[in-house]
Amino acid sequence: MADYREAPLATRPKTLDPNEYFNLSPEQRRAEEARGALRANLKRQYQLQLNNPHRKELIEDPALTRWVYARGNPYAHFRPTNKTSLLGAMFGVVPLFKHCSLLTRCLKEEQIKAGTLERKFSLSS
Amino acid sequence: MAGVGFRRWAQALSKGKGSGISALLSGCRAASGLSKDSLPGPYPKTPEERAAAAKKYNMRVEDYEPYPDNGEGFGDYPKLPDRSQQERDPWYQWDHPDLRRNWGEPMHWDFDMYIRNRVDTSPSPVSWSTMCKQLFGFIGFMLFMFYVGEKFPAYQPVVSTHLNARILFSLFFCWCFFLTVTIFSSFKMAGSSFF
Repeated sequence: MADYREAPLATRPKTLDPNEYFNLSPEQRRAEEARGALRANLKRQYQLQLNNPHRKELIEDPALTRWVYARGNPYAHFRPTNKTSLLGAMFGVVPLFKHCSLLTRCLKEEQIKAGTLERKFSLSS
Repeated sequence: MAGVGFRRWAQALSKGKGSGISALLSGCRAASGLSKDSLPGPYPKTPEERAAAAKKYNMRVEDYEPYPDNGEGFGDYPKLPDRSQQERDPWYQWDHPDLRRNWGEPMHWDFDMYIRNRVDTSPSPVSWSTMCKQLFGFIGFMLFMFYVGEKFPAYQPVVSTHLNARILFSLFFCWCFFLTVTIFSSFKMAGSSFF
């Protein structure tokens, strides 16, 4: 499987991942240890709360609260730029006009049947 | 009195920076839950702000990378690698085993997309080129064969219907004959008590 190419947006298998074999310098190891220390601290906080016999309430997860807050309040940090205005126009404004024109086609139909609507011949209508 | 109260309320409303119904009513946030400095905030511009944000999200300063500041509403939320929860170690003792997540761990912005029931970024068992070749090869082959079948159809040969009926009737007659013969011979072999 020397020519294994992963699917777009997917990852390589662990045995083919160069990270496993090449990130072994002391800095990398220290970084991994620091991350492990952070994880262990969080684990300790959670286990203390979990096994506390006097606890009656649910354990609140601040990371979850932050995630919910961030997902729920994007407009606090919104700024109109080229891209955001274009997206807003494409998804918010254009469908309104498109729906309006689609729904009012029946009104035009009566005019066409009565023959009052002028229909010019043109190759690109 | 009422006029003064109304003016004060309007001033508070215009100055209030909260969000939701509480902002409309009083311009401030509930005191329960997390404090303002542990909630997500605006994009960090100075290194001190970055360090504070990394500490807030329980990450190393070197690991912390906010989303680019292009006004799309992310603020200082960290940009974590786009990996699904299916990729995480199934044998490790997670605090929440079904989500494969520990308590307090920073959540991906699209966490609800990357749960194990939904989008999965784990490696495919066969390489991408092999998958493409197999799928499109099969579909292409089937399309080609159907096209050839349209161009050169092949039908079953059919004899005249009258002759067909005679053939079928004679076959049926033979079958009835052999059936009775078999029944008679089986009775004869089993025992002659019948006849």
